[in-house]
Amino acid sequence: MSAPLSQLSDLDRVIHEPARLVLVALLSSVESADFLFLLKESKLTKGNLSVHLSRLEEAGYLKVEKTFRGKIPHTEYRLTPKGRSAFDQYRASLGSIFDPKKGRV
Amino acid sequence: MDNTIDTADTAVKRGRGYWFVDGFTELLAGVLFVLLGGALLARALVPQDSFLSRFMGIVGDVSVIKVLGFFVAIALLSWLKDRFTYPRTGFARGKRVTLAELAVFVRNIFLLVILPLLACAAVFILIPDARVALFSMPAWLPGGLGVLWVVLSWVAAERMGLPRFRWLGAGMLVAGLAVGAWQWAAGFPVVPVEALHADLMGPLPEVLRAPLEETVIRLYISLGVLIVPVGVLFAVSGLITFLRYRKENPVPYTEES
Repeated sequence: MSAPLSQLSDLDRVIHEPARLVLVALLSSVESADFLFLLKESKLTKGNLSVHLSRLEEAGYLKVEKTFRGKIPHTEYRLTPKGRSAFDQYRASLGSIFDPKKGRV
Repeated sequence: MDNTIDTADTAVKRGRGYWFVDGFTELLAGVLFVLLGGALLARALVPQDSFLSRFMGIVGDVSVIKVLGFFVAIALLSWLKDRFTYPRTGFARGKRVTLAELAVFVRNIFLLVILPLLACAAVFILIPDARVALFSMPAWLPGGLGVLWVVLSWVAAERMGLPRFRWLGAGMLVAGLAVGAWQWAAGFPVVPVEALHADLMGPLPEVLRAPLEETVIRLYISLGVLIVPVGVLFAVSGLITFLRYRKENPVPYTEES
């Protein structure tokens, strides 16, 4: 197996799923966000979003925090350091496989 | 697969640019700019008793507007977002700045702003003839600001995937260059070169008093004439963004929607 192909097979499957990739990418650019933000930005259905968030939480990439905004209970989702590092690594791997400047593999 | 990279990049940019999704920030910044530019113009055009009092008045007005305006704008933004934006499209907490990021920011500010300013100050102190450039400040400062703003706007547009910031930057560049060209065409006060060699710590030579006063007034006029339209540009951009956002999200999100 050539080096790029072996890198391809080593890609993180949890993040590689398109819906989860969008969620992790969104959360990587903020400190934390609520369900509605992720719902609107990812354009997933509520059920789908819940499933993917649970999957990311199980993988240890996501932390769910119950907070209050004023007197209203509020649930926020935050990437864990493990999740951030996994996303950075995933992007680096993709970048090395597909270098847009040098063309496709 | 290449599409995957684009999808991830787009999502990252959308997260970064979420603060500007509703147009409130531009709208308030625009109002603040108009107030600031208006204060500069008013102080420059309204006759005062002395040059010093006018100068101190400008500093006072501008600082009050900046400091008060900043805190009022932050409070107003939080209030508006709490009541309008977050119930419609959700809440996202901005990323915390790490020490490493802060260090990079400070380094960049030092390299791009402080160091050039120190270099200019050194040139003015060490080369008396170069001090004549101070009297053309009403022309080159607005032009320079226009260039600085377009660079910052384009970087922000790229980082946050907000194309309208490119247009804002282009508008600010055009405004800066236009004001600079206007001031250039108006000419500058004639300054005797020997007067520029006067001791910097000594009293201001009488012959420089009038040209300096004229330069200061023209500088505030040119900055005011630059900042007011830039503020209007920001406010219009904010208003358009807000109207578009409201059209796309007319009511707060509910379980049924």
